[in-house]
Amino acid sequence: MAACGPVVVPSLLTERAGLRPNARYLSAFLGARFLGYLLFAAVAWELGVLVSLPPGPRMLMVGVIYMLLAGVLLWYAYSAGHVCARSCSSSELVSISVTRKRGVSGAAALGFLTGLSLCPPFLAAGLRAAELGSLAAALLFFAVFFAGTSIWFVPFVGLGCVARNEAVTTVARMTMVLIGLYYACLGLSMLLGRKVYGN
Amino acid sequence: MATKAHILKPGETAPRTVGRSLLLTLPIALWSLLMFANPQRQSNRSVQIASVMTAVFMIALFFMMMRTCSTFRWRRWFFVALGLLFPVGFIHNVMVMRGTMGIPIEEMIAGRTPFCYLPIPLLILPAAFTKTLLFPGSILPGGGMSGAGMAAMAGVWLAITLVVGKGWCSYACFFGGIEEGMASVPARAKLRKIDPRWRYGPWAVLLAMVLLSLALFEPAYCLWLCPFKAVSEYVAARNAVGMVQNGIFVVLFAGLVVALPLLTKKRTQCAFFCPFGAFQSIFNKTSVFDVKIDRTRCSPCVLCQNACPTMSLTTESVTRGETLMSCMKCGACVDACPKGAVVWHIKGTEVASNPERARLMFLYAAWGMAVMFGGSIIVEGLATIVHVFV
Repeated sequence: MAACGPVVVPSLLTERAGLRPNARYLSAFLGARFLGYLLFAAVAWELGVLVSLPPGPRMLMVGVIYMLLAGVLLWYAYSAGHVCARSCSSSELVSISVTRKRGVSGAAALGFLTGLSLCPPFLAAGLRAAELGSLAAALLFFAVFFAGTSIWFVPFVGLGCVARNEAVTTVARMTMVLIGLYYACLGLSMLLGRKVYGN
Repeated sequence: MATKAHILKPGETAPRTVGRSLLLTLPIALWSLLMFANPQRQSNRSVQIASVMTAVFMIALFFMMMRTCSTFRWRRWFFVALGLLFPVGFIHNVMVMRGTMGIPIEEMIAGRTPFCYLPIPLLILPAAFTKTLLFPGSILPGGGMSGAGMAAMAGVWLAITLVVGKGWCSYACFFGGIEEGMASVPARAKLRKIDPRWRYGPWAVLLAMVLLSLALFEPAYCLWLCPFKAVSEYVAARNAVGMVQNGIFVVLFAGLVVALPLLTKKRTQCAFFCPFGAFQSIFNKTSVFDVKIDRTRCSPCVLCQNACPTMSLTTESVTRGETLMSCMKCGACVDACPKGAVVWHIKGTEVASNPERARLMFLYAAWGMAVMFGGSIIVEGLATIVHVFV
């Protein structure tokens, strides 16, 4: 919940108020996150070595994911301005697209990328998946892991009760930009092959 | 020889007599003497001289507020002095204790850095979830802080906040003075058209930093976004990330605290960025004092809106007869109104029933706080300078 909070909270606040639209957003987010999990499980099992990659290449992978996450967040903030410029009255979920007609669901894109983020518990789960006897077992392990961690997303539905007005949607969009820039800085640093902290 | 009588405009208050002004200044004078006559500090001659200078300065400014019945221009002298002298004393202390302004991340995580109140609201959630305090600062000599010390600080802050609300940002904060000084330099604003949605900036910074601090379990604001790192301590740059962080500090300081105030005549960091200010805004709802607009006297001249350094007055809010919750109670709008329509007010009383009494009561609370917090910082900064000559 804490790890996904910076991505979920502001993007959810740009959507329409109400429990149903928020539940729909979270469904798209979690569905795509599930896909990310399964993909990671398959790759982890197939390669077996993914999670035991040396720190350098792993940082590179995380860096790429952070850069993609930053890009999607910035694009999402921009797209949300079109969908809900002032009052956020659109009944559709925010899509990120160039043409503004057809695009990828922003919630799904964010869910997929957070599903791939290589946080410590996720890596530990990946290690376990890599050790399992079959691909099906690895997928099942991650499906259960997903179900266990998804419970923590239930409180986010409560954000549907927050009234949406110009102030809330603007703050949410600005927050997305700030968090996007933060991930961009972090990702860039990782891509440059630097440690985040330390000597 | 007969002198031409000064004709008062509607709502204008006549200057007080010297005697009455002195009488009204007496409580603050006593409070100042109590605050600055510290026998332990008086052993140092530089501190002794700085204490006397500060006491005289604070008492004189309050006297002028009483005498002229105006607030903003006198408060500004104090506030700019506070903003300029804070880095002087702070950097001196840091250099004496560490020999460098650069603080390694390990020291920051261990809390062995000077205490700063600004990131506290951003770290409440991580503290609530993890039962661990992430405060990037200490009030104990060896680092960290005691429960009793924290409780005392929280109590003092709460008591002050309940009375003055966001007045904290105009009478106690040691960060806003530099930009207020910068904003007062140009005669006219070069950049007048500012999208009002930038006012939501502090809330966005607050939300983003709360979420990132919770996710990463680190004081994200102190590590990435604090403009005042540029004039206090900074992250010791031992790698590319450290360089990026310090670059961000310098760019934010140069933009929000120097360049934009010069261009807009607004306190841009306070108005569009400061997360503590956003948090403190909430307590404007509980504060006893506020600023109201007497609709019977107001002609929509927008002078108050132009004078407000934080864009806390809009056409809609003036129509409603109130300021926005981001009002810092600096008094600029009250002093700018030629009709006396913008008035100090005590909640629960009639608007404009006795605005001068409301101003007095507010100022006693706010100036008392200014002497207590700002005064000691001014003494420290002045003592550093005086020490060079004495």
